[in-house]
Amino acid sequence: MGIIDFIIDSVLTQASITIALIAFIGLLLQRKDFGEVMSGSFKTMLGFLVLSAGASIIVNSLIYFGKIFSEGFGMQGIVPSIEAINGQAMNDLGLGNQIAITFLAIFVVNIILARFTKWKYIFLTGQAILWMATMTTVFGSVAGFSGISLILMGGLVGGFFAVAMPAIAQPIVRKITGTNEIALGHFCTIGYVFAAGISKVIGKGSKSTEDIKFPKGLGFLSDTYLSVAFVMIPLYMITAAFAGASFGAELSGDVNYLVYAFLQAVEFVVGVYVLLAGVRLLLAEIVPAFRGIALKVVPDAKPALDCPVLFPYAPNAVTAGFVTTTIGTVIAMFVLPWFGLAMILPGMLTNFFAGGTAGIFMNAVGGRRGVLFGGIAHGFFITLLPALLVPHFNSFGFVNTTATDVDTVGAALVFQWIISPIMSLFS
Amino acid sequence: MLNILVVCGAGLGSSFACQMSVEAVLQDLGVKASVDHSDISSAAGSRADIIISGKNFESQFMRYDLPMELIFLDRLVDKNEIKEKLVPVLEAIGKL
Repeated sequence: MGIIDFIIDSVLTQASITIALIAFIGLLLQRKDFGEVMSGSFKTMLGFLVLSAGASIIVNSLIYFGKIFSEGFGMQGIVPSIEAINGQAMNDLGLGNQIAITFLAIFVVNIILARFTKWKYIFLTGQAILWMATMTTVFGSVAGFSGISLILMGGLVGGFFAVAMPAIAQPIVRKITGTNEIALGHFCTIGYVFAAGISKVIGKGSKSTEDIKFPKGLGFLSDTYLSVAFVMIPLYMITAAFAGASFGAELSGDVNYLVYAFLQAVEFVVGVYVLLAGVRLLLAEIVPAFRGIALKVVPDAKPALDCPVLFPYAPNAVTAGFVTTTIGTVIAMFVLPWFGLAMILPGMLTNFFAGGTAGIFMNAVGGRRGVLFGGIAHGFFITLLPALLVPHFNSFGFVNTTATDVDTVGAALVFQWIISPIMSLFS
Repeated sequence: MLNILVVCGAGLGSSFACQMSVEAVLQDLGVKASVDHSDISSAAGSRADIIISGKNFESQFMRYDLPMELIFLDRLVDKNEIKEKLVPVLEAIGKL
């Protein structure tokens, strides 16, 4: 039995190996030839390890930022980043295995729900499912689940979101695209629907954003990593200036403290870049396999796709939604601490993707005025929900960070507010 | 082998969705190619024969003088549009 114990205790506890095995079995089942099976499994494992490497870069940069922020402003500043949450959950909390298997469980529940309910959506945005699996695993294990029950609960909650979110977005997506063929698969949907609701009330009769001429100079912001750098660099450097030269020098050693802050901000962007490159490798085999299986089992399925698929339909609304959402997150950053909540810094990745998509939604129902007011409300909303989770993340040992994508925050709150109290009734 | 790169902002979601549609179109056409997806920051350094991206990225690409064929789509996963724009390019470079 020694060999089986060895496999279970020493090999399968390594999430990178487990996930490579999952890919290996998946590729075998698709009857790929030997070369493709091996290269696909290896790439999946490589992806997982690249992701972890990116996560530790992010965390190192965040630890530095946390120190200068509390020195400079006398309070904790939280960087919202679902990538950082995922990385820390996998690396430091040792939940990598559970997250990987929950990820698969969400796919399976999604297919079953699409097959047997009228919600025929197949959620193809792999990284969003990974973030969802991360949140259900973290909050599920805190609620007292472990092993099979943890994966089952995560699969059920995540699978429900995977069909319900495209379903609630579809009426407006249909209006935007003019067809019913594609759906939106992005876990910021509660925010989009909220923003569209506000926009509809306020923006009645307002003209479309697509008639506005925007300065071409803003175009670089559609480059994800540049737009993150655009905000992180001033954020780190101003914070370092407030923390002062003598404190900064303690952390920076021989390097000038402002130069060091600049480099640490760039390091953060590097971490995001590496982590997402890992995600890309990780998903390259899994998503097409899932799509193939799903389309066989659910013949009339609608693929729910990542949000930038909608961007070409209303590019001005993307820029406008990004700007107004960012204004909302800046307001929330200053307002929430008055109510005893943490100070959440604006998260540029989410502001761009979620803000941009919200912009398209808001423009579709409430034009320019809707995008302006709805966007500010949206920014506030997507800062408020993650702020509610900060005390929990702190108590689980996460470093200066909170989740972003509001649907995953919603799933976490389902565990905190509903499932956890029910669990404690029975124990 | 013909190399096609599909590009979006982060190189994760919509470029991947578009890649799957491109692959389906290539299969219909009977053209063999290796298709991959990536982010716009690294796309300029790529050595692909054809780059496919969304219309909203067109101004970004125009800043570079890229040697490969560029295709910009209004609807990233619309197979008809992909076919319509890809076929002339494939014919021009003698792959069809």
